[in-house]
Amino acid sequence: MTTHRIDSFGAPLFVCWQLTRDCDLACLHCCTESAPGKRLSDELDVDEAMRLADDIARSGVPYVMLCGGEPLVVPHFFAIAEALGRAGVKLKIETNGQRLDAAIATRLARLPIRSIQVSLDGDTQEAYGRQRAGGSLAKAHDACRAIRDAGIPLEVTFAPTRLNIHEAEAVIARAREFRAFRFNSGKLMHIGTAARHWSKLAPSEAQYRQYREVLARSARILEPPLELCYVPWSIEDGLRAAMADPPATLLVLPNGWVKVAAALPGICADLRRVTIVQAWQAYREAWRNEATRAALRRAIDDESSHAQANEWQWTPVVHV
Amino acid sequence: MSDSIVTADTKAVPPTEAPKKPGVKPAWETPKLEDVSEQVMAQPYIRFT
Repeated sequence: MTTHRIDSFGAPLFVCWQLTRDCDLACLHCCTESAPGKRLSDELDVDEAMRLADDIARSGVPYVMLCGGEPLVVPHFFAIAEALGRAGVKLKIETNGQRLDAAIATRLARLPIRSIQVSLDGDTQEAYGRQRAGGSLAKAHDACRAIRDAGIPLEVTFAPTRLNIHEAEAVIARAREFRAFRFNSGKLMHIGTAARHWSKLAPSEAQYRQYREVLARSARILEPPLELCYVPWSIEDGLRAAMADPPATLLVLPNGWVKVAAALPGICADLRRVTIVQAWQAYREAWRNEATRAALRRAIDDESSHAQANEWQWTPVVHV
Repeated sequence: MSDSIVTADTKAVPPTEAPKKPGVKPAWETPKLEDVSEQVMAQPYIRFT
């Protein structure tokens, strides 16, 4: 039997917790199909979410990302973040920045936050608003300033599409202006809403080549410092690496189900029924499961198959 | 709810408890923050969504 690094850990290193599918924006490229009113009917309620937060902390998970949808639309967001933070769990928060003002940044600054990541998918309202329907670039910029002023490390993320890729270099410059420490990007993911709008969103090969040149050129600018993070470039590249060394991370969906991999539909645990440690064991076994590995190979060979990633299905767990 | 979300496959039953190996005590490490590598955080679904 193959032994992976994940087999040495008694709990995951990192939990990515998608709190909701609800969002205050309707982004054309959203990989989770989140949008206003898209809250799932079976999302964890406040009591279930608080029990899960407690379980995560007691299991010794050192690092949790809270995301969505938009995590700040969840009424119990602060209760979860503060419970995890009080227990010493480090946090990353992903937000569109539409609601994150100085008061919220100040409240978050009391927690052990490693970073807040704000999506800046454009440097003009025209490009940003086309991709992030209903969004205000000015509010996203205000959020970046509030995060910086509160002393919280800032990350910026940019999802390239035909609508905004021409503004990538300006967004990188903007990230430097806001003193972000990292700019995250890569190839647009063929998942969720993005898959449905693929023909009008996916950049051409020529556009991607130009964008890679922009990234390489920007990486040579040393001041102010900004890490440009775009490798692995694609989902497929990430899956190839994961097949050799599965990531010690759990992706938790809003209803408490646990995914085997973001680009696959497979589910390996239900956190309403099992603990984080038990889910972790199911995850490790799923990565040894031949059905999972065959699905991973298909996902590497056929990008279009990623479009089924949100059609969740239980992965039969082989107890070895 | 999104139309594309489906419920659990009735042919496959979710695990209700972790499998046990009697007599085997795994030597697991407690995960530590310093083990969270850049490679972990660079996974596409974590770094940009």
